[in-house]
Amino acid sequence: MDRQIVITGIGVVTPVGTGCEEFWSNLLDGQSGIAPVKSFDTSAYNVHRGAEVKEFTAGDFVLNLDAAHLGRASQFAIAAARLALADAGVESSSLDQKRAGVSMGTTSGEPREIERFDDSFMSGALDRIGPEFLALYPCHVIAAHVASELGFAGVNTMIPTACAAGNYAIAHALDVMRAGRADLMLAGGSDAFSRITYTGFARLGAVAPEVCQPFDRFRKGMIPGEGAGVLVLEPLSSARRRGARIYAEVGGYGLSCDAHHMTAAHPEGAGAERAMQQALADSRTNAAKVSYISAHGTGTATNDRLETLAVKRVFKDLAGRIPISSIKSMLGHTMGAASAIEAAVCALAVFNDRVPPTINLNDADPECDLDYVPNFARDVRVNVAMNNAYAFGGNNASLILRKSVMN
Amino acid sequence: MISALGDSLAQVHDSLIHGLSAIKPIQLFNTEGLGCPLAGEIVDFDASKYLGQRNLRPLDRTSRLVASSAQLALQDSGWSMEMRNTEEVGLVLGTMFCSAHTISEFDRRALEAGPAYASPMDFSNTVINAASGQTAIVHNLKGVNTTISTGATSGLQAICYGADLIRSGRARAVLAGGAEELCFESFYGFDRAGLLCRSDTSAGDFPIPFDARRNGAALGEGAALLMLEDLVLARERGARILAEIKGHGSSYDCSRGHDDKQSVAAIAVAIRQALNDAFLLPHEIDCLSASARGSRSGDRREVEAVVSVFNCQTRHLPVTAVKSMLGETLGASGPLQAAAMLETIREGVLPGIPQLQQIEDGFPLKRACAGPKEVDVLNGLINSTGFDGHSCSLILSRYED
Repeated sequence: MDRQIVITGIGVVTPVGTGCEEFWSNLLDGQSGIAPVKSFDTSAYNVHRGAEVKEFTAGDFVLNLDAAHLGRASQFAIAAARLALADAGVESSSLDQKRAGVSMGTTSGEPREIERFDDSFMSGALDRIGPEFLALYPCHVIAAHVASELGFAGVNTMIPTACAAGNYAIAHALDVMRAGRADLMLAGGSDAFSRITYTGFARLGAVAPEVCQPFDRFRKGMIPGEGAGVLVLEPLSSARRRGARIYAEVGGYGLSCDAHHMTAAHPEGAGAERAMQQALADSRTNAAKVSYISAHGTGTATNDRLETLAVKRVFKDLAGRIPISSIKSMLGHTMGAASAIEAAVCALAVFNDRVPPTINLNDADPECDLDYVPNFARDVRVNVAMNNAYAFGGNNASLILRKSVMN
Repeated sequence: MISALGDSLAQVHDSLIHGLSAIKPIQLFNTEGLGCPLAGEIVDFDASKYLGQRNLRPLDRTSRLVASSAQLALQDSGWSMEMRNTEEVGLVLGTMFCSAHTISEFDRRALEAGPAYASPMDFSNTVINAASGQTAIVHNLKGVNTTISTGATSGLQAICYGADLIRSGRARAVLAGGAEELCFESFYGFDRAGLLCRSDTSAGDFPIPFDARRNGAALGEGAALLMLEDLVLARERGARILAEIKGHGSSYDCSRGHDDKQSVAAIAVAIRQALNDAFLLPHEIDCLSASARGSRSGDRREVEAVVSVFNCQTRHLPVTAVKSMLGETLGASGPLQAAAMLETIREGVLPGIPQLQQIEDGFPLKRACAGPKEVDVLNGLINSTGFDGHSCSLILSRYED
């Protein structure tokens, strides 16, 4: 149980860039990926903006499977997985297939497949739906497609815990590796832009009309997005043996459930607090050692206020001294991919000693009075980073990444 | 557990050993135009029987199945609300679709009436972790809350995940299992994929695992949760211990079920890993609860995998396949098999496979038959295989003080 598990590869497909380098540099520059929605017609909605992935060609990444017969979330996941392996310098042929696994999170799986089903149903043409519906729709196909594309025959798990799913998937991969059930794991999350999700958040009045401005006094909500993030996890010993670049060590995690309300967070942020406390305990980290927090930071009035409250309850008078940023200000909310992409950000922050900004933050909410790294990236020594994610269902997940002994 | 054959271990096991089948014409939705009109439906399911007079409107069918079976499992294990207020209990739920019906209905309503008329309450149930979230609220489960989705193996995989949480000391008590509701949307998918049994041929109306006449599975629905705890702590609180989780294994067939050899190999890897994890040898397994659901290729692959692990011992291995009576309940299937295994271990009777008359040539299953048989089970193996590559195996063992 004391095996050290490290991150040696990062792959991302996001509204602000594909591939670790482009993504990180755009993020530090404070670039926004939010634009008018192109996936479907939003004229019947009172909001029209989203954070979609632009100029994505699945065929660039899907080499073994048939890209045309994969859902968009699977395509993103495969792209992120390939990028992560390449970044880690791992050839999948060099691995023992049975000991190479995949653990992925998602909110909606492959929503476009059921949307197509619904369109056909409504137009009285359900016979247009054939055997491909079952082959493409159930959410487990995302992790399965990644594994099939790369020849990974070990552990294969999909964890659909909504907007915290990426953290859950990474946490599971950590446990799998610590238990010695795999030599290498690809872990992350993926979600495709979904009409169903957009409709739901719009109906809740949670979608911002123009920009996402977490922690700002005038914030108007979140912006739905899409993307994928995948990390390569392996034991420190194997990473050292092959001379790999080590971004960070996965120190531990905490998972909790509010058991309070499906869509609203606990009024005192109690579940979020327990997840953070458990992550600190699991990674044997003193709260004073945490040098960066990647916030869930959706940009809704309640999330940002309660998250701030929960951070204060955990870190007490230290809370104001920890830089906290929400990259959702730039990427929007990439759903099940969000916390995986944010884990990538934590790993990059630990590796580079730089933290990305929260953009559009000009007039801080008096109830959100911590250091949210407004508008400009910052050089900070990041020894320990905490990645927080919260989801529908009251699911809370906190992850600790830190400098490895080799950093 | 909530199943089409009853809601208690004893009742379900009794039905299984008497060869009662839950597979009947579907009442839940119109089957016109579908190739298979049969399923293991829970007719007249009423969650208020288990959950009392609380407002059940926010819970869809899947959530009601899960919350109801959680109520039974909490009651059965003695984890009272009082205890749950001071100790965190976790929930790990395996489900393939959660509620494809809720997701689809939400979308169709927005298409029909406009997005402004979509239901916010339904939206909260469109996430695939809705049932575990709703159940946590109903029963105040504040520990780890994870949803696992690996196709038809989801439920057994969730038990493995839960067992690892206990083993690693992350949780003291975890409800682990799975659920699946019967609904038009997922049923239509299986029907169009040609995976369901046809009732209009000489093969009869049932899925008949291992039989030469088998021609497909029947879908079913249900929910089953097991309360998993650390042995020492369970004894300390004076809990009744039903069995021990000895080991588990899982693997993935990269061909997604397209290649026979790779599929067989993946199932065999899961079984071998479970044996290794349990420190057991094949001859120490006393019976097998097979995943077989009446599929032409799926059943054959499972048999070949079992033979590759057990060799000539296969002929001595008592085998059952409860999907012959409950149907393929997807996310619920592994946990339902596990629940039935608990009763087999306790009662010493293994259910038969009704209608099994002509075991396919070349299947060396000398101890699979239509009727129940007496068995003395120390270690029982449970297999769960998906339709597109996932395999999972679990070993349950008799607990002796």
